Amino acid sequence: MKKQPRFLSLLLIIGLFIFVLVPFVPLVLSSLSFGWRWPDVFPQGWSLRAWEYVVNDVRTWQAVGISLWIALIVTFVNLLLALPAANALVRYPVRGRWLFEAIIFAPIIIPPFISVMGIHLSFLRFGLTETVLGVVLAHIAPTLPYMFRAIMVSYQTLSVDWEDQARMLGAGAMPRFFHVVLPHLLPGILAGASLSVLISLSQYLITFIIGAGQVVTLPILLFPFISGGDPAIASAYSLLYGAIAIMALVGMDAALKRYYQMSRVPQQEKGVKP
Amino acid sequence: MKTYPLAALGTLGIILSACSSEDAGNATNADSLLTADWDAIQDTAQGQEVNMYMWGGSDNINNYLDEWVAPRIKQDYGIELNRVPMNDAQDIINQLLDEKIAGKTEGSMDIIWINGENFKAAKDNDLLWGDFTGQLPNFNDYVDADAPEVSEDFGEPVEGLEAPWGKAQFVLVHDENQHEDPPKSMSELGDWVKQNPGQFTYPAPPDFTGSAFIRQVLYETTGGHEQYQQPAADIGNLEERLEPMWQYLNSIEPYLWREGETYPESLAKQDQLYASGEIAMTMSYDPALAASEVLKGRFPESTRTYVLDEGTLANTHFLSIPFNASDKAGALVAINELMSPAAQTAKLSPENWGDLTALDLEKLSPEQQQAMNEVDLGEATLSIEELEQNRLPELSSDYIDIIEEGWTEYVAKE
Repeated sequence: MKKQPRFLSLLLIIGLFIFVLVPFVPLVLSSLSFGWRWPDVFPQGWSLRAWEYVVNDVRTWQAVGISLWIALIVTFVNLLLALPAANALVRYPVRGRWLFEAIIFAPIIIPPFISVMGIHLSFLRFGLTETVLGVVLAHIAPTLPYMFRAIMVSYQTLSVDWEDQARMLGAGAMPRFFHVVLPHLLPGILAGASLSVLISLSQYLITFIIGAGQVVTLPILLFPFISGGDPAIASAYSLLYGAIAIMALVGMDAALKRYYQMSRVPQQEKGVKP
Repeated sequence: MKTYPLAALGTLGIILSACSSEDAGNATNADSLLTADWDAIQDTAQGQEVNMYMWGGSDNINNYLDEWVAPRIKQDYGIELNRVPMNDAQDIINQLLDEKIAGKTEGSMDIIWINGENFKAAKDNDLLWGDFTGQLPNFNDYVDADAPEVSEDFGEPVEGLEAPWGKAQFVLVHDENQHEDPPKSMSELGDWVKQNPGQFTYPAPPDFTGSAFIRQVLYETTGGHEQYQQPAADIGNLEERLEPMWQYLNSIEPYLWREGETYPESLAKQDQLYASGEIAMTMSYDPALAASEVLKGRFPESTRTYVLDEGTLANTHFLSIPFNASDKAGALVAINELMSPAAQTAKLSPENWGDLTALDLEKLSPEQQQAMNEVDLGEATLSIEELEQNRLPELSSDYIDIIEEGWTEYVAKE
C-alpha cells in the first residue's frame, strides 16, 4: 500500500517538471537558431549571434544589477509598510477597515498605467522621474497588495496570547516582535517577498514611464526586440530574465531560512550543547 | 489627531515641490549655440554626455551606434554618446509632452530619432529646439537642402528643426525560387493573387508598413501621386477619389491569406509568415531589411526585393534635438558626426545596418562616392541607383489618418 502514493508523487513531480520546463525548450532553440522555418521541428542551423549580443552588451549586466536592486528595495519597503498595516487591520478594531483594505488592494484591480499616467506628471514636478527612487516608489503600488495579503493571512493565525505570554515573562516590545511574532510570520513574509520581487522584476510600462530611459531594467531592453520581431534575441533575453528571477527567489528563500534558523537555534540549544 | 496624516501629506507636497524649482539659465545659454561658430560649439561640447533616444529593437542598429559611432565620437570630440533604447518613437513624444507641461527645463533627451507623424506632433507642440541644421558643417557640405525629401517630412516643412540621417524606401520581398516573375503593379498583383490564392497579404493598418502598402495602392488605382500634394481638406471630392482604392482592396480580399478574414497585426507577424513559408511575399519600408534577415538566417537565401514599375514610396528619417536637451552643443557635434560621409558609408553596409544615405551623392568627393558605391549591399537589396530612380514622395499625415480609418470602415468590416 505504501508504494502507490510514492509512485503517484513521482508521476506528479515528472508532470510538474514537464509543465515547467517544456516551455523553455522552444526558447532555448529559438535563441540558438539560425533560420527556423515552418514545418521543421528543429532549426536548420545554429548560431550564437543572439547570445553574443546579449552577453557582450554592457547594458545587459547593468540592467540585471539595477533590476535586482530595485526589486530588493521595493520588497524591503513593502515589508516595512505591510507589517504594521496588517498588524493594525487584523488585530485591532479599525473603523472603516474595508476602506483601508480596498485602498491597499486597489492596484490589483485598477490597471497600473492609469495611475502611472497621473503619477508621471507629479513625479516630473518633484524631480523623481529618471531616478531609481522614483521607479521604486512607482513599483510599490502593484507589489504591496501581495505582500500585505500574505502577511495578513499569517497574522490571522497568530493569537495575541503568545505575545501576552512573552510579556508576562518580561519580554519588551522588540524581543516580543523578533522572537515571537516574526518567526511565526516568516513563511508569509517569504511568500509575499517572492511575489513582490517577481512582480517588480516584470514591470515594463511603469519602469519605462517613470524611469524615462534613464533607469534601464531587463524588460526595457527586452521589449523592443519583441515588437521589432527578432525572436532569437528576445528569446535569449527571456531566458536570462527567467534565470535571474529564479536565482533571486532561491537566494531570498535561502537567506530568510538561514535567518530563521540562526535566530532560533542558539536559544534552544544553549544548555544542551556539550 | 485625525488631521495629522493630512498635514503630513501637505508638508511632504510642499517640500517636494520646492525641489522642482525651475532653472531658466540653460535656455538663454543654449540659444546662442544657434548662432555661435562651429569651433566654439565643439569646445563647449567637449566632455558632454549626449543621450540619444531611439528605437532599440535591432541588434545591427544598436551595434552600429555602440561599437562604430560612439567610440569614434568619444575619441575625436571627447563626447560620451549614450544610446537609450525605446520601444516606439511615439513614446519619446509623449514623454516630452509631459515634460513640457511639467515645466522641466533640464531634460535628459539630447538627440531623438523621429520622422513623419512624430515629427509633426513634436513640431505642433513646440517640443523641438530650433532651426539648427544650418550650423552643421556636414549638412551644409553634403546635403541638398532644397530636395523635397530633405525639406519636407511627410509633407510637413522641416524648417531646420531636424537633420536627415538616412532614407528608406518601400520594397516588396519575394522568394526567387518560388515565383520567378513577381507582380510589378497593382493590376498584375490583382491577377497574381487570383492565381495564387492564400499566398499574399499585408499587415493591417495602423501598422506602418501595411499603411504604406495601402498608400501604394492609392497612388496606382486613383491616378498618381501628384493630386495628393495638397492638404487633404483642399480636395472636395476626396471620398469619391478614394473609392477605386477600396474597390481594389476588397476585390483582392477573398484571395488573400486566410481568405482575408484576418490580416497580420504587424509587419513582424507578416515576416514570420513569410519566413515560415506560409505566404510567398512580404514587404518592407527598409530596402535592406530583407538582406539582413537573410544574413540572420530568417529569410531563405533566394529572397529578393523589388520596386513597382511606377515607383514606390520613399521617406527620410531624421535626428532632432528636444527643446529641453541639457547638452545641446554635444548633440550638435554628434549629429554632425552621424552625417559624415564615413559614418554614412559605414551605415550603408548591411553588416552594420544597411540604411541608405541621407547625403547627396553628387556633393561627395570622387573617393567618397567610390567608397559608397563599393559597399556590398547584399544580393537581396536593389542598387542605390535603381531605388533612387523609382522614388515617389510620401503623403502628408492628414491623408494617412483618413486612409487608416477608411480601411477599417470599408475593407476590414465588410
